Amino acid sequence: MGVEEKAFLVGDNPFHGISHLSQERSRIRGDTPTNPEYAAKLIQISLENGANGFMFSVSEKTLSILNFLKKNGDINRLSLYAIIPYAYEYVRLASKVGGVPGLAKKVVKQIAFSGNFNAVALGLKGVLKADLGSLVKTYLAYEISRIRSSAGKQAELNSVILHQLVTDMCLGFNLSWIFRLYVDWMLKAGLKPGFNTGNFALLVKKFKEWEISLKDIVIAAPFNKIGFQMVPSKEECEKTLAELPKPNVLAISILAAGYLKPEEAIDYIATLPNIKGVAVGVSKEKHARETFKLLNEKLGRT
Amino acid sequence: MKVAVVGMGKMGLLHASILNAIPEAELAALCDKSFLIRKFLKKLFKEIAVVNSVDKLSRFDLDAVYITTPIALHYPIAKTLYTENIAPNLFIEKTLASNFKESKELCELAQNSGGVNMVGYMRRFAVTFQKAKNLLEEKAIGEITSFKAYAYSSDFYGIEKGSKHGTSNIGVLRDLGCHAVDLALWFLEELKVERAKVEPIVSRNVEDSAKVKFTASNGVFGELDVSRCVGKYRMPAVGFLIKGSRGTISVNDDELEMSLNSGKSCRWFRHDLHDTVEFWLGAPEYFREDNHFVKSVLHNGSAEPDFQKSAKVDRLIDEIKVKAG
Repeated sequence: MGVEEKAFLVGDNPFHGISHLSQERSRIRGDTPTNPEYAAKLIQISLENGANGFMFSVSEKTLSILNFLKKNGDINRLSLYAIIPYAYEYVRLASKVGGVPGLAKKVVKQIAFSGNFNAVALGLKGVLKADLGSLVKTYLAYEISRIRSSAGKQAELNSVILHQLVTDMCLGFNLSWIFRLYVDWMLKAGLKPGFNTGNFALLVKKFKEWEISLKDIVIAAPFNKIGFQMVPSKEECEKTLAELPKPNVLAISILAAGYLKPEEAIDYIATLPNIKGVAVGVSKEKHARETFKLLNEKLGRT
Repeated sequence: MKVAVVGMGKMGLLHASILNAIPEAELAALCDKSFLIRKFLKKLFKEIAVVNSVDKLSRFDLDAVYITTPIALHYPIAKTLYTENIAPNLFIEKTLASNFKESKELCELAQNSGGVNMVGYMRRFAVTFQKAKNLLEEKAIGEITSFKAYAYSSDFYGIEKGSKHGTSNIGVLRDLGCHAVDLALWFLEELKVERAKVEPIVSRNVEDSAKVKFTASNGVFGELDVSRCVGKYRMPAVGFLIKGSRGTISVNDDELEMSLNSGKSCRWFRHDLHDTVEFWLGAPEYFREDNHFVKSVLHNGSAEPDFQKSAKVDRLIDEIKVKAG
């Protein structure tokens, strides 16, 4: 039986100007590569040094990066892991346009003008009948069409991952039917359903309770040597990870937002079972070269 | 503990989800005036009652209510909840009310009810600001002599004046600046407004930026700069530079640095300050504040910041506007 290739993904946080270590320092240094063309170059360098995928929140910025990757031909060497919705952008937008109702109107307008007629019809049904299932499906179809139109039809869209804020809010509310609907719809669309969560142990526990197969999904969750953002504790997350039926976890925040040195961070990941891959943000060409070389050396492709 | 949430915008959803994840809390009812939102809420939550007005919450025998509506509605809703004895314990998202007069009245109503009351100044639950508070109480930098505070966001950055965006009905002082004012009061107890300048930048009727000079007891002076039209603030940010007789503390949402006159310095990131919680949604501080409120109600304790303390923020914001003319 063949062993699945490890996923070494370029993360997009630096491309949005995000530093979870210190936003203030990042702003002062102004060293985050927010120019899409330069971000595409960093991805290209990462690919040359062992990266094989790109994990990104779907936004105008990352869609523009996909466009550059398509133009320079790199898109065909990448597996894409798209996170939707780009929740923080929507939260910010809600502040500008008058809260949740204003935001809903704006999103409906965007979908209506997207030219995706199936999505529009499904969405209309959803609004008229207050059918949340139809609205969720409409939104998913709309986001996937945006990715495909920027990346091109040949691009390998491996997984569509539900954003942490949405996953964890649904988890808090125990909305098992939303998770089921998402998994079923994605599998029917030929995509691996994914969940980005800050509550890894709870998500796995709930999925077991709800009998949602953990074999069919990927989970993107923080794993790092110092237990940063590992909720409720590093020990609990490690224990839950060991109990998974197969390697389906994409470890994120492995550098604890730059707090750890790559070598020690990757050494810790190498000790963990059931890791499908890792996503790491890079902000400089040197980082891109060193990080992905090191990941290949320490974690290997197989 | 049976809880209801009034106002199901983004903050209502966030608090409701966290409350549902706290084992001691039972989310009994949700209230929103929007027909469409109620329709969706009913489809989403089969086991939680959804109502259209606050007085209908009386049928649920509630222990506590969260008010997460726009600020202008905090006062009338809280007043109804107290006067109709719907729930003795209230949590209100910041700010407590639209002005000090309303806040004062809510403080009196809260006192008469005898329940726990709290306002959602979540930055008090951020590990960096908590560490700063501890260091200041320990007099690690000696006696405070001055402070400079900021509260910035890019929410209205790059929007042209008169655009249909940026038509917020709430000024930046109550929207964002209140966090810095609350923290300044937490660190220093009392403040007086000396000078203030507020201006609309893109909004029509409310301020988008403010610059304030404060004084406190023992000759302490402070400055506050607030704006929602600053570039590169993907998330709203609040920070302080506090000078003391023996050193300085620089603190923001992510990190804290203390430099002593002796030459010694220390730095802490969130990573160093045990920034973990049992359930993480949005930021760890949201779980901490909700958990604090729930535990305070269950153990007949008092919650921080309560209405009395939070009313001081409304008083100072009123004073800033008066001084600015």
